[in-house]
Amino acid sequence: MSIQEQYRSRAKELLREGTVKMVIGYGAGTTPLRRRPIFITSPDDADRLVLDAACRTNLAGYLLREGLLADQKSVAVFLTPDGVRTINILAAESQLATEQVIVLGFQIDGENARQLEGTRVADFSGIIAERKKKRKEQPSHEVARKLEQMTSVERFSFWEGEFSRCIKCYACRAACPMCWCRRCVVDNNQPQWVNTSSHTLGNLEWNLVRAFHLAGRCVECGNCSEACPVNIPLHLLNRRMTEEVLTAFDYYPGADEHQEPVLASFRKDDPETFIL
Amino acid sequence: MSEPFEPKIVAFVCTYCTYAGADLAGTSRLKYPPNVRIVRLPCTGRISPMFILKAFQKGADGVLVSGCHPGDCHFDHGNYHARRRWTAFNALLQFTGVPEERVKFSWISAAEGIKFAELIESITEEIRTAGPFEQYHKLIAETGSAASV
Repeated sequence: MSIQEQYRSRAKELLREGTVKMVIGYGAGTTPLRRRPIFITSPDDADRLVLDAACRTNLAGYLLREGLLADQKSVAVFLTPDGVRTINILAAESQLATEQVIVLGFQIDGENARQLEGTRVADFSGIIAERKKKRKEQPSHEVARKLEQMTSVERFSFWEGEFSRCIKCYACRAACPMCWCRRCVVDNNQPQWVNTSSHTLGNLEWNLVRAFHLAGRCVECGNCSEACPVNIPLHLLNRRMTEEVLTAFDYYPGADEHQEPVLASFRKDDPETFIL
Repeated sequence: MSEPFEPKIVAFVCTYCTYAGADLAGTSRLKYPPNVRIVRLPCTGRISPMFILKAFQKGADGVLVSGCHPGDCHFDHGNYHARRRWTAFNALLQFTGVPEERVKFSWISAAEGIKFAELIESITEEIRTAGPFEQYHKLIAETGSAASV
């Protein structure tokens, strides 16, 4: 039985016995290589589920749709280990209760989707600990390394060029499972922190704020870069923040559901190399 | 003939330590450059990165953020939180090409009037040498609003 068949029957089973009221998974998209999120509530529809190497979107954010979890019933979601980390962070930030989430875990290895054992987020703590180790050894992105070698003027020009293309559509915000604020700081107009027009200045400010608000929260799922219509390398900013909290505070977001957010906690011996 | 460049520096300081330190510098008749505009806040924990961006948006050439030494916070741990925030934000600013000399962080206690005066002296000189923050000012000009602090 293929992994897809296996997960279809698991979804069907969960819905039939009433363990979950909904399964959030991937369905066929508009082209053969595209997948789109589907929301299944009846066992008969489980055959629409698709699971293969093209399933790359992090679906965790859909759990925060207004009222979805308000009735205390459970929902099953297709999640990679990074998706599980997302759930852990959302739980740590009191946005959901992990008891209501059934994980249909999978991992993409090259061209294949592979099954991951476990049904609750806590079952994946071993895998996540492994990923933390790997992340520490992972070299920084090729472009990031080039940027680090530039002078600050060149670096500024690079980002100026990138951000000048931004049209402030906020697709990055809409796609990000971590952007759950009901009122985003850029929508504030008293005071108006960030220029609303899509001049490069306002774009720069927006992208800095977005990256900063994801410091120690981003799981590097890539939803934002994927959603960006003008291909700004948003992942570079996010990765830089991830590396900073990892090296400075040994912090890897989403390790478990009780992990304190990195910017809402501190240690008295935190490093402070740059403070005069 | 154009006037010589005078840097505009915005200092976000906490009221219990650095502001009191600045006060001490004043009452001690210590001389420091008048290029700094001080914004007093209850605690460094109150200083959002948005403040720094806002200062640059309004045409500042440099920003100083300063508060109580670790362990001295009036609210016990506001500066510890601030320190983590600055670590992340400072890394982000440098990664996007805001030069190191444009944003400075420091701990200055209420007793350190001399340190305050000397620090303002040194960062003003540093920014005077670096010149106006042209790259940022260009972006401000694009929006059609005149920069002013």
